[in-house]
Formats: sequence, C-alpha cells, structure tokens
Amino acid sequence: MELLDGNQCAAWGARLARVQYVPCYPITPQTEIIETIAQWKADGEFKGLFEQVDSEHSVLSAALGSAATGARTFTASSSQGLLLAHEIFPNISGTRLPMVYVNVSRAVSAPISLWCDHSDVLSVRDFGWIMLVCETNQEVLDSVIMSYKISEDKKIVLPVLVNMDGFVHSFTREQVVIPKQKMVDKFIPKQDLKIKLDVRNPKSMAVPVLHGYMYFRSQVHRAMLDSVSVIKKVHSDWYKLTGRKYDFFEGYKLSGAKEVIVMMGSYTTIAKNAVDQLRKKGRKVGLLRIRVLRPFNEILFKKMLKGVKHVGVVDQSIAPGLSGILFSEVRGMLPSVKVSNYIGGLGGKDVSDKEFIEIFDDLKKGKEVRKWLM
Amino acid sequence: MIEIRIHGRGGQGIKKSAQILARAAFLKGNLTQDFALYGAERRGAPVVSFVRLDKKKIGTRGYIHEPDYIIVLDESIDDKVVMDGKKKSTKVVVNGTAYCNVNASEIAMKHLGRNVPNIALLGAFCKVSKLFSLKDLEKAVSIELGKKGKEIVKKNMLAAKECYEKVRC
Repeated sequence: MELLDGNQCAAWGARLARVQYVPCYPITPQTEIIETIAQWKADGEFKGLFEQVDSEHSVLSAALGSAATGARTFTASSSQGLLLAHEIFPNISGTRLPMVYVNVSRAVSAPISLWCDHSDVLSVRDFGWIMLVCETNQEVLDSVIMSYKISEDKKIVLPVLVNMDGFVHSFTREQVVIPKQKMVDKFIPKQDLKIKLDVRNPKSMAVPVLHGYMYFRSQVHRAMLDSVSVIKKVHSDWYKLTGRKYDFFEGYKLSGAKEVIVMMGSYTTIAKNAVDQLRKKGRKVGLLRIRVLRPFNEILFKKMLKGVKHVGVVDQSIAPGLSGILFSEVRGMLPSVKVSNYIGGLGGKDVSDKEFIEIFDDLKKGKEVRKWLM
Repeated sequence: MIEIRIHGRGGQGIKKSAQILARAAFLKGNLTQDFALYGAERRGAPVVSFVRLDKKKIGTRGYIHEPDYIIVLDESIDDKVVMDGKKKSTKVVVNGTAYCNVNASEIAMKHLGRNVPNIALLGAFCKVSKLFSLKDLEKAVSIELGKKGKEIVKKNMLAAKECYEKVRC
C-alpha cells in the first residue's frame, strides 16, 4: 500500500503500461500527471518518449499520429484543454486507433472554476470513445491499465477515456496498491496494429469516403457494442489477478431497494454513506454508480434496477435548456419507473450526506421532481 | 472518523503538514485522505489543507466543514474562515497566542533559521491531540521529507519537540 493522489495514480498506470509516447500540455488540475512522468523521464525511470507540445489540440494530434504508427500512447487533460482538442477526438476513434486519455474533470469556463464537474468529459460522450468514470484513486490506476487491454483488443481498436474528478481525486491522497510490473506486463502484452503507418510500407489512413461514411460510423458503433463482452472479460481477468472487482455499474445495497440514486464519480462515496445511514433505519434504498459510461450496457442497467420504484439521477452536469445529462440518457430506459433529476456539485460545490438523505426522502414521496442542489 | 483542518499561508508548508499527519495515521493502520485546496493560491495567500483518518472506510470527501481539530499556522488569517464549523469539542492549536498555543515561528527560526513552522507546530498538535507520539511524527516526517535529507528532518524534529514541551492550553 502507498499513499497516492489521483494524478500520481494515472501516471503510475501509464508507466506500468510501458507507454511509448506521452505528448502533453499542462492544465490544472491535471498538470501533476505529466509532471510526474516528466520527473520519471528525467530520473531515467520512464523509457518512453515524453514531449511538451504547443497546445492541447496539438497534443491530441500528436497522439493520433503516434497511435497510428502502433506506438502505445498516453496523454491527459482537463476542462478547456479537452475542449480545445475536441476536433481530434472523433478523428482518433474514426481512424480506429487505440490509446488512453485521462481526463481530470473540471467545470468549463466561463466563469472560470478550477473545481470538478462533469460538463467537460460529457462533451465528448458521442465521439466514439470508450469511457470509464472512476470513484477512487485505486480505480484510476487500475482503469488505465485495463484500458490498454480493452483499447488494443483486435475486436475493438477504439480509444479509451478514463475520468477522475479534479481535486477530489487528483489532489487527494488515498491508500493505493501499485500493481507489480511483471503482472502488468503479462496482463497487457503490446498488441501490434493490423493496419498502421509505416515508412517502409506507405499508406493513407482516414481518407475521404463520401458515400461510404455511414458504413464507417456504423462500424464504430458496432465495435462499441462488441466491446461489452471484452470489457467484461478484462474486468474478470483483472479481478483474478488483483482481487479488485469492477463492473459496468456498481450496485450498492440494491437488493430490495425501492428508491435508488443513479450517479457517477467521486461523490458516490458520500451517497453510499447516506445509503448506509438509511439502511440502518430499515429504509429500502440503494445506489447505482455508472462506471462504464460508453458503451452503455443498457440490458444490465435495466436488470439491476428491476423492482425499483423511484430513481433519482444526481447529475454533476447540466444540458442547459433540457436537464442533467445522465438524466436525459437513462430516463428513456426506465419507462415504468419514476425518474427524478437533481443537479448538484457544479464547479465542485459540496453535496453532503444530509442532502443525499433529503433526496431519498424526496424519492419516497413518489412525485417526480427536477431540482437543483444549490 | 477524525477530521483535521489546517490553515496558514502559502509557503508555510500547509499541504506538507496534511501529508505528514496522514502518513503518521497511515503508519498506524488507519485509512486516510489528505489534500489541499489550491489553484489560485500562492506564497503568502491563505491556504487550507485537510486530513481524514479512520480505522474503517471513509464515507465522505471534499472540504471538512466541522473539523475535530483546527491547526492554525498564521494568526492573521480571517477568524471567520479559520473557526468556521468549530464544534464545542473541536481542539484548536495555534502558532501564536490563542487557544492551545506556542510560538512555533520563533522556535522554527531557532532550529531551522527559517520561518517554516509547520512541523514544529505538529509537535504541539501531537501533545494536544494525543493522536501521535513524537516518534510517530518523526517516522512520518522522515518519509514525507525524505528527499530533503536527514539533516532537515533532524532540525524540524528538534523544533517539534520544543513545541511539544512548550505548548499551553
């Protein structure tokens, strides 16, 4: 066991995966990830190529190029940095390249906030990236390693985004087990790309297709759906190696639950505490944490919420003019369940255990509501 | 669960204090969280850091609103901020003259030649809280300041010991 913050965990994940190329550009609260790798590079402990380029747009462009040559590629950013790189996100998934990108969630400007919400990461929701959203620092480290296994799988070949929460994960140290290098080497041997850029065998990738475009988009969607079975296998293999269990969703005290909160990210720790307090009083409440946001395993999601009367979706995001983003995603999947929406924690605002208990009380009343936890 | 909040100014070692206390708690078999709020902070600006420790899983995150202990490295920081959420049972350890206090700056100057009073004041905190012995503190300081060398650990521990002995409640 070690004491590591979320940023160090992301860096450790990349190091243990023996990534070959890290293009980077600093931004709070992510900077420490690349600082850590830069320090290792200076100390001779990191063998890959480390390069600071001129912007986040260039970072992801460089990452695309490197991934296209078959080099194992890693980078990280936050908020405005992720937004600046937007254009490149669907280019990487559309070109069908494997890589791992860590986003350290931070609210988007303006006004400027340095603290966490999920408006940044959810803006790339539809760009064809597999997306994992973490609750603990250990999960960040484990997820980066597992992501290479998923990303490079021959059936998938799609990029993966691992999300952690700014400050709450990135700057908070917790107890973390650093996996053994030997074990990781065995778990994720470097996969060679079938189609890649190679100076000895020149070719063009991601060329204009005009009428064929729809076929390629459908292929990204299909690969995403196919990745469900791959992710399941990777989770179960990792569990066998480490004893640490991950799934598409984490069900917390869902057995017999009538009122359930659905949410993602670090604040689930606080919501679980509220569940514990109410369960002690005999209340039938539970929590479902979304970990794998894309692909969204709809079948499993519905199965886990079977018998639930009222779901409260707690969104750390807002689609202005509609609702919270998770709410609009899952409401349609639950036609016979009442679904309420709570917007909270924007720009890192606290949501206390008392507030989660109030949400459960609200859900028990049975009336669908949409509220802001101001 | 025990929650500790540390107030001071950028440059006084506020973040490091939280890391040292968390390390001491970790070494004694606790689960811990330690973090600092920063971003716009800089040398001289008010900085706050936090430690949580518990034998069982910690069921919360973020800002500590009702700390069990408040450690104040600089008395000139706004009282409203520092004492926010203070409970009747909250113990306060101050580098200065109020509550449980000791002049940690002076003692740090004496031993280190610099006004970096964080570890010195942690000595007083050990005495007041009874959470850690000076030996526990020394182990934690050795790990967290490891890269800076043994000499700096030794000097800081002399300051911590003096604060441990001199703190008044």
